[in-house]
Amino acid sequence: MAAIIAFVLFGIGVVALVLRRDLVIKLLALGLINAASILFLVSIGDRPGARAPIQLPGDLGIVADPLPQALVLSAIVVNFAILALALVFVMILVERYHTTDSIRIEQEMAREADDQETPCL
Amino acid sequence: MPLILLPLLRFVFATLTISFARARKLFTILSHIIDAALLSQLALMLVRGTPEMVSVGGAPAGIGISLIGDQVGLTFAVLAWVLSAAVSAYTWQDKLRPYFFLLLNLLIGSCYALSFTTDLFNAYLLFELSTLASFLLVGYQRQPRQIWASLHYLVLSSLGMSIFLLGIGVVYAHCGCLDLTVLKTIVKASPGESWVLLAGALLVAGIAVKAGVFVFSLWLPAAHARAMPAVSALLSGLVIKMGVVGLFRLGDVFPIDLTLIVLGAITGILGIVYALNSYDIKRLLAFHTLSQIGYILIGFGAATEAGRLGALSYEVAHGLFKALLFLTIGEAAARAGGSDLKTLIENKHKIPRGTRIALIIAVLGIIGLPPLAGFDAKAILEDGLPTMFLHLIVLLMSVGTVVSFAKLAPVLFASSTHRASRSRVLSYAWLGGGIILFWPLSLLLVSPAITLHAYSGLHIIEALVVIAVGGALYFLIRKRRFRLPSEIFRLETSPLIILIGFFLIYALMILGQ
Repeated sequence: MAAIIAFVLFGIGVVALVLRRDLVIKLLALGLINAASILFLVSIGDRPGARAPIQLPGDLGIVADPLPQALVLSAIVVNFAILALALVFVMILVERYHTTDSIRIEQEMAREADDQETPCL
Repeated sequence: MPLILLPLLRFVFATLTISFARARKLFTILSHIIDAALLSQLALMLVRGTPEMVSVGGAPAGIGISLIGDQVGLTFAVLAWVLSAAVSAYTWQDKLRPYFFLLLNLLIGSCYALSFTTDLFNAYLLFELSTLASFLLVGYQRQPRQIWASLHYLVLSSLGMSIFLLGIGVVYAHCGCLDLTVLKTIVKASPGESWVLLAGALLVAGIAVKAGVFVFSLWLPAAHARAMPAVSALLSGLVIKMGVVGLFRLGDVFPIDLTLIVLGAITGILGIVYALNSYDIKRLLAFHTLSQIGYILIGFGAATEAGRLGALSYEVAHGLFKALLFLTIGEAAARAGGSDLKTLIENKHKIPRGTRIALIIAVLGIIGLPPLAGFDAKAILEDGLPTMFLHLIVLLMSVGTVVSFAKLAPVLFASSTHRASRSRVLSYAWLGGGIILFWPLSLLLVSPAITLHAYSGLHIIEALVVIAVGGALYFLIRKRRFRLPSEIFRLETSPLIILIGFFLIYALMILGQ
């Protein structure tokens, strides 16, 4: 079930990434895509009737596979870093062009001649 | 030990360069000497027949993160070292912030680790690390176009890595492990099962975004053309190759030979078609990066010994001449005041002599003049191609390369009064020497029987005919301008094309059964 939700979220993310022109929304869509793949990874550690993988003394019940959760932690951190960096890039662009509309930024950029290009910061 | 020390020491040097910025030249020299010693130790172990294998943390194979110093890994690591030395020499006298060298060291360190890793999740993290460093390097000068190219790169590669992560999930759900050496036996035991196809398609599509495959790496032309020359050289010569090493490793496990051949042909031909139409030389070089990846994929997909070795040598050869092309064109563009062909031709006398000679060597290398690097690697690769049809495609790509580089001919010949700085000449000589002495050096990688076979009269005549035909063709079509769709490089369309590409790969994997 969780796997199906993950694929649906992935699809929604891609649709938003393609159709929305606002850069911040594009990045949110990217975050959704990343979250979907993370959800999928978490879901495969699950087994029917399993509990959280914390072993108590004398307890031999079925537990979820702990490895995917460990992997997911690193993936979350990486995605966070990338999203933060992307937002910094968007900030630099907004300071220069005063818009988050990707198509307008592209048009403005095409209008500027190469030789007039100056650093943003 | 060297397998762990190589990447880790680079990370240590990365911290040192930013903490003690004044001593950065000392650290640069020191890090290259230490890397050379470690790499030669690895090479020695490989020659003795016992390549080093490490499972980090001492966990048994299949559970721990393993690294292997095999032929493929070592070749890519040596390429990383060579290009790192060239870029360090090129930027020797440039006034760059310490932060640049921090990123450079991080990038090289993660490339070392990526060459050796056989663990899928470790590869995922290292891909992300290397691309994080490259995003920042592309946007280093903070020009809006660089930032825009970098953002585009970031969005697409993040999407690609999410697809890769889904692939990792499918693999783990079915095998319970992520080590490629263990996976190999599991996949061999269950060929053609649906999860193998799905996992293979997801993993290949994810990596293809990084590897410079045409329908996937649509961020590449902008990023490589906009970045600083030293950064473009590294991105084109090295970072793209990290995707290729990933495809090589996956090719050992999953049945993706047909997929690689088809992707290689598409990449090669489309890359050249777009390059023919580019009159900004840095953009032309970026499109040629795509087209040259085509050779490598076709060679590896041919699944023969010579094809595989040819692909490996071509990857080194391409690293050398493409880095040299980006560095020399970068300097020429800085002197001439722009990288479009017209400006370069008008100001060609401003290009220093050393730069011009290096540029000539690099161009001759890429068009495959015997006995330079391009010819040698391509000849080995062609010996490994099983069918006439693949030969024809490779031949077509070679002619296309000559036609598109013929544009540069007017820039190459002029008298110049300017001189290049000594450190830059050293950097050019280092890469140019590699291109000229490629044949003797390739004996380290390829057995003499295969290289000697590649040096047959037939191959030499073929290479010369290709150059002649390409040159003639250029004169026929040079006045023609044709329009190609540029929509596919937009941020809006490229994610969609990546998804379509994934279905293409999936279909090819089913066909390849």
